[in-house]
This record gives sequence, C-alpha cells and structure tokens, in this order.
Amino acid sequence: MNNPLSYFEKFRNHISRPRNAGELSDANAIAEETNPVCGDRLRLSLRIRNGRIEAARFLAYGCPPTLACGSAIAEIIEGMAIDDVAKLSKNEIIAAVGGLPSRKQHAASLAIETLHAALAKYAVTNGG
Amino acid sequence: MLTPSASRNKLVGSRFSDAPAEISVVMRKVYLDHSATTPIDSRVLEAMLPYLTEKFGNASSVHGFGQEAQAAVDKARRQVASLIGARANEIVFTSGGTEANNLAIRGICEAAEIHGRHVITSAIEHPSVRGVVDQLEKDGWEITRLPVYDDGVVRLGNVRAAIRPDTILISVMMANNEIGTIQRVTEIGELLHEERKRGHRHLWFHTDAVQAAGRLSIDVQTLGCDLLSMSAHKMYAPKGSGALFIRRGVRLLPQQVGGHQERERRAGTESVANVVAFGAAAELAQNEMNERNDHTRRLRDRFETEVERRISNIVFNGNREQRLPHVSNISFRFIEGEGLLIHLDMQGVAVSTGSACSSGTLEPSPVIRALGRDEELSRGAIRFSFGKDNTEEEVDYVLEVLPRAVESLRALSPLARDASRRDMRSVPPAVAGG
Repeated sequence: MNNPLSYFEKFRNHISRPRNAGELSDANAIAEETNPVCGDRLRLSLRIRNGRIEAARFLAYGCPPTLACGSAIAEIIEGMAIDDVAKLSKNEIIAAVGGLPSRKQHAASLAIETLHAALAKYAVTNGG
Repeated sequence: MLTPSASRNKLVGSRFSDAPAEISVVMRKVYLDHSATTPIDSRVLEAMLPYLTEKFGNASSVHGFGQEAQAAVDKARRQVASLIGARANEIVFTSGGTEANNLAIRGICEAAEIHGRHVITSAIEHPSVRGVVDQLEKDGWEITRLPVYDDGVVRLGNVRAAIRPDTILISVMMANNEIGTIQRVTEIGELLHEERKRGHRHLWFHTDAVQAAGRLSIDVQTLGCDLLSMSAHKMYAPKGSGALFIRRGVRLLPQQVGGHQERERRAGTESVANVVAFGAAAELAQNEMNERNDHTRRLRDRFETEVERRISNIVFNGNREQRLPHVSNISFRFIEGEGLLIHLDMQGVAVSTGSACSSGTLEPSPVIRALGRDEELSRGAIRFSFGKDNTEEEVDYVLEVLPRAVESLRALSPLARDASRRDMRSVPPAVAGG
C-alpha cells in the first residue's frame, strides 16, 4: 500500500494537521480568491525562484473542504516547477484530500483558481 | 486513530512558526447536541421494551392484545397531556414534531381557508414550520414573518400590528431551536383572546413547543394557544413519536386519512412502543424538570463564563436571560462554524451549526441572520446544547479543546490575519486571557 491513510483519514489529516499554513514574508506571488457564492476564501503566498516554487503557504476561511484543499495545494506545489504547477487539475487536489462529494468540489476549484491567480501575478511582475 | 508523531510535531514547530498547533485525535465523547436529539433514558427504554416484545398488539384490535396496547396508549396520552396541562383527548400522537407542525398549520389553513388566507409567523421558526408556510405562500397565501431583532425575541406590538381581518393563524414558536430564546407566547395568547372578544372568531394560535416541552413549565390553559407541537426525542425518548395538542372545539383537516385512529385526526396504526416511551419520558420530564434545568443551567453558565474568559472575538447569540436553560449559541469571529464543528468532532465533542455549505452555495443560518448578524458571524455560529447527563468534567474537557480548535482555525484564517494587522495593539485574535 502506497498510502496507509484511507480517503476519509486523508481529509481528516489535512484538517487536523494543515500543511504549510501561514504567509511568507518574502513571497513574490500572492493571490486571494473568493468563491462569490459561498464566500469561502483562499490566500496563497508563493516564493518562486528560478522557475520553481521554493515555498508555498496558504490561509483559508470557509468550510472544511476549503481548508483541506488549501493545505493540499500548498503541500503539493512546494518544490515543483511552475510549468508543471500550471498543469495541476482540480481532480488532483480532490485526490490529494482523499476525494470530495460533488457538492463540495468547489473547494478544489477555488484552490486551482487561486493558484492560477498567483501564477498570473508572478508572470505580470516578472515578465513571464 | 491518528497519533501525531514526535517527529511530525518537531517538523511543524521548527519550519513554520505561524503554523497552527496540531490537533491530536482522541476518542473521548462529549455530546453537547441535546437540542438535536437526546439519548434514551434507561427508565424510558424499560417502559417501552415490553411493547416491542410480548405486548405487540395493535391498539385498534378488539382482542386482548389490542386492549393491552390501547390501555398503554391511553396512559401515555394522559402522561403527555399532564406535561402541558391539557386533557388527554386533546392530544393527537404523530410521528414527531415535524408532522405535528405540518398537521397544525396545514390542518387549520385548509379547514379555515374560507375565512381568510393570511398567516402570521416569525422569522426564526423551525424548518418544519417555515417549509409549510413557504408552501402556503407559493399557493397564494399571504404570510407575515415577524422580525426578532438582535435578541431573537418577537415583539408583541408587531404581532398586534400584523393581525388583519383575514388572518386565520398565528404560528410562533415557544422557544427557538438554535438560540433557545423564549417567545412571549402567553402574551400572544392574551392578544388572541382580546381579538376574539372583538369579534375575530376565525383566528387560531399555534406554537411549536418541540424545544420547550419538558424544559419549560407549560400550561395550555393559561397559555391560551389552540395548538401546540411536541416531540418525544427531545426529552430522552426515541425518535419516531410526537404529539399535537388540539384544544377542544378546534377543527382542523386531517393530513393523513384512511383510519379511525386518534379520533379521526391522524390515521395510521399507533407506534405503541414509541408512544409508551413518549408518555414515560413526559412524566419523567415533568417530575425532574427543575432538577434538570438547574443542572444544565449551571453547566451552561459556567461554560459561557469560561469561554468568554478564554476566547476573544466571540458574540453570544440571542437574549441570554430569556432563553432555554440548556442552550448556548456563540459566534466565533474569523472562522466558519462547519470547520469548528469538524475540529471538535475529531476530538469527540458533538455540537451543531445552523449554516451549511453545499454545491458552492452557503446557506447561513436563517436564525442567526434574523438577529441582524453579518455574514461572518452567521457562518461562525455554533450551538452547544447541554443535557441532564452531562458532567462538570465533560465541560472541563470541552473548555480545554474548544480554545485550541478555535486557535487552530484562526491561525489559518485570512480574516484573522487581516484583523490582527489592523489592530496591532491587541493580542492576536486567536486566544486571549488564561
């Protein structure tokens, strides 16, 4: 077994031990997105060097799936090349938290949208 | 069970100074959701068990088995009637509080439609009342929903002002299910009496007493209501039984037909064991009401005092004097109730939130919204409801885990971070005091 945690436990694990929570004082890409309907918020701050995400932190306000997806995306992208990060999909985030019922999958969409917003800001300020 | 490892603790602590404390998963169970349902009292279970085994008769049957069941139902009817000062034949057993509320409102409106199509209710009714009233509105009825202001209490003047010649029903709950506020139903009953004396004959008053029955002393004679709903599982009996008090002489249209049970007002074979349990629970509630209330009030008040001391940026919802003795509803700023609920649940503490997020839409609690709270406070509201079997030690445990859970969520919250930056003079918004 690659992962001893069951799907439910994966989710609980992200909630009880959120990864990479907080903000980076030396971030060079920050974005905060809000789900306009439910009001959930996710803030990502990234430190990008040499085309790679050196560090990622998240802050989240909303239902537990939003917190779990924030934790998952911040954990996943740390150390990745930004070209690869840009290809991340909602389904990968859903898988990382052990699956989400369809009515809660907007939380993973919010995570991807926030990531894309941060990368877009980085591209603008760094001429990428 | 997940057990945080020492290395993980070290890793988190060393890498991220602003990371939230880890939540350890323990299996202690503390149930603080007695407004949702209550555990079955062992004495209630003992009373009902024979009717699940050897005394299995149908109360409508003529033979001895049926007579035995009928006698048990009759006894339970007297016990439930006694709880609210009613006559036994004014009690109609239902499947629960929701059915009682449906029967009361639909039953009266359908029977009295010829006299008017206007209903007065409050903005904080239970969904089982709100849903029926909403349906009536779709069917062309006019509905006045009375505001409750920031204390969660309906104003008598607003009730009086809302009454029109075509008003046939006032439905205002006795005590609210989320914040516990007690409405001035006796005064509404008096108002109704005055209206009738003025010639407004076709006006009835229903009160949803699902949360209040067994917790407040109720006497329908002084209360002056025509209909009153109750539920068994809020008073330490099983789910599946409720009752509607229908004052003698009040006519309503049955919503279930096809049988002669309940004096033609609710067809269907009585759930004898559940009814027996309801009766036993009602008698116990009546006998032990003061003791139970003193106990839950003491636990609740100590809990609130300590929460206020240990956690900053909280708001208590609803009038704190005029409320049920077992309920505490608190909004925690900067965090969302569902997240806090999950955190507490992972530590064995069961509470409730009135908000729900699904399909990308949030439905903040209509009750908390009706108090005029902003969206953040509406989303951050949690109901703690205590029961007769909760202990001081359990409250101590909750007081230990709750501040940590709030702190963890606030450490993740951009709202908390921004608020902290705005007011650098204050302590971080997570936890203050001891």
